[in-house]
Amino acid sequence: MNDETFLQERVEVIARFGQGHQPCYPVRFRRASGREIEVSELGLRHPLPTGNKTIHIFDVTDGGADYRLEFDSERLIWHLTMEADHYEAA
Amino acid sequence: MKQHNLERPLIMHIDLNSCFATVEQQARPMLRGKPVAIVNRRTEHTAIVTASYEAKAKGVKVGMKFKEAKALCSGLIALESDPSKYRYVYHKLLDIMRDYSAHVTMKSIDEGVIDFHQTSADVQERDLVEIAHEIKRRLREEIGVWMRCNIGIATNRFLAKTAAGLNKPDGLNVLTSHNIREVLGKLQLTDLTGIAHRNQQRLNAVGIYTPLEFLDADVVTLQRMVFKSVVGRWWYDRLRGWEVDDVSSDVKRVGRQYVLERFDLSYDEILGRLHHLCESVGWRLRSQDKAARGVYVYGKTRERQYWHSSTLSSLPFSSDKTIYVLARQLFEQAPDQLKEIGVHVYSIEPIIDQQLSFFNDQIVRERQVTGAIDSINRRFGERTVHSAHTLASGLYVSQKIPFGSTRYL
Repeated sequence: MNDETFLQERVEVIARFGQGHQPCYPVRFRRASGREIEVSELGLRHPLPTGNKTIHIFDVTDGGADYRLEFDSERLIWHLTMEADHYEAA
Repeated sequence: MKQHNLERPLIMHIDLNSCFATVEQQARPMLRGKPVAIVNRRTEHTAIVTASYEAKAKGVKVGMKFKEAKALCSGLIALESDPSKYRYVYHKLLDIMRDYSAHVTMKSIDEGVIDFHQTSADVQERDLVEIAHEIKRRLREEIGVWMRCNIGIATNRFLAKTAAGLNKPDGLNVLTSHNIREVLGKLQLTDLTGIAHRNQQRLNAVGIYTPLEFLDADVVTLQRMVFKSVVGRWWYDRLRGWEVDDVSSDVKRVGRQYVLERFDLSYDEILGRLHHLCESVGWRLRSQDKAARGVYVYGKTRERQYWHSSTLSSLPFSSDKTIYVLARQLFEQAPDQLKEIGVHVYSIEPIIDQQLSFFNDQIVRERQVTGAIDSINRRFGERTVHSAHTLASGLYVSQKIPFGSTRYL
């Protein structure tokens, strides 16, 4: 079907806060293993309201794989929740 | 004979291309240029909700079983639908459209109409084709570089939608009295929105086989012989660019259906899923401040038999519990071998705080409990509090994309 891996991994993220249509842009993140990933493109950022709390979902890529980062705006923590790096060939 | 509407075209129809697949390709750059199918569940028997243009080019169609699609397109990537993502894009598109007019109507989660008749002079003075290009550019800037949309401009909603469908993907067409014959000459009857198999048969019965013959038919033929009602007059006007579709519809029914994830579920497990559907229906009903008096339950069997049953109550209700109690009673007559179940409520009316008698204490209590549960769920998230009976079904019967209606977005 596809090759997504779903995770719930705490990660450290360097993000740039600014103006414009993408006021928050994750630039780099470090996984629990210590591996650092440089974000080359932010595909889409969308909010996921969960009651009064909002989780911000960032779909990003490093050019080799797609990742989903989730930022909990109440607890100010980031999780890596999805990695997809070997899609079937078209 | 009524002439074609010759006024300036001021209706713009915007349709996101293969919306859900495009949004996924926007979110996940590694998927761009690859054949992608959006499904509601990761099984081989699941049906395709949307396919990317790369998948469509290989023959993949919406509604096709994933297994069949995979046979046509071996590299097809299936992704489970992600409603929160599509809801976000829907609201971004709506925000962009509202920058040009207060008269914006979203027809579904991926298409909407801007009526420029009563906009500011600044906007009205501009060329609508220029505005259309600007909207396309803003979609790419404000949502993402992969976003595309089809835009159609005409004097009424029907022709604007027809124009939007002419050059997919990323098309932009203006349909007026000058080019309508040329455009309709290239289409089939069933390419027209609202003309499916049955209407096509009606038209064929009087010798109308093409959209041009449909355009040339006189109003008496359409009204008395084809549609046998005022609908014939509406089609006559619609094809000539006069507006007949600027109407809002009231909520007539609220419902949900579910294709069982396995065919060996016990009766009680199916009831759990029915209960879950009733909770979803109740939540949607109350979110519109409505109550209902009727419940309709249906089931489809693996032998493609359709079973249904309904009941009408004298008092309006809106609680999950009442909807489920009535649905369960009806469901006792349901056949075996079910593969799909559904529940609707109908006879919808506004919730009115009536003067309740002493004998209605039970109703008051139920309404208060439901209200308290709803406010907890609004504060802490959907299904924070729900029936214990639906605990096991939550994993399967999750909320999917509400097609056709934008009321719950």
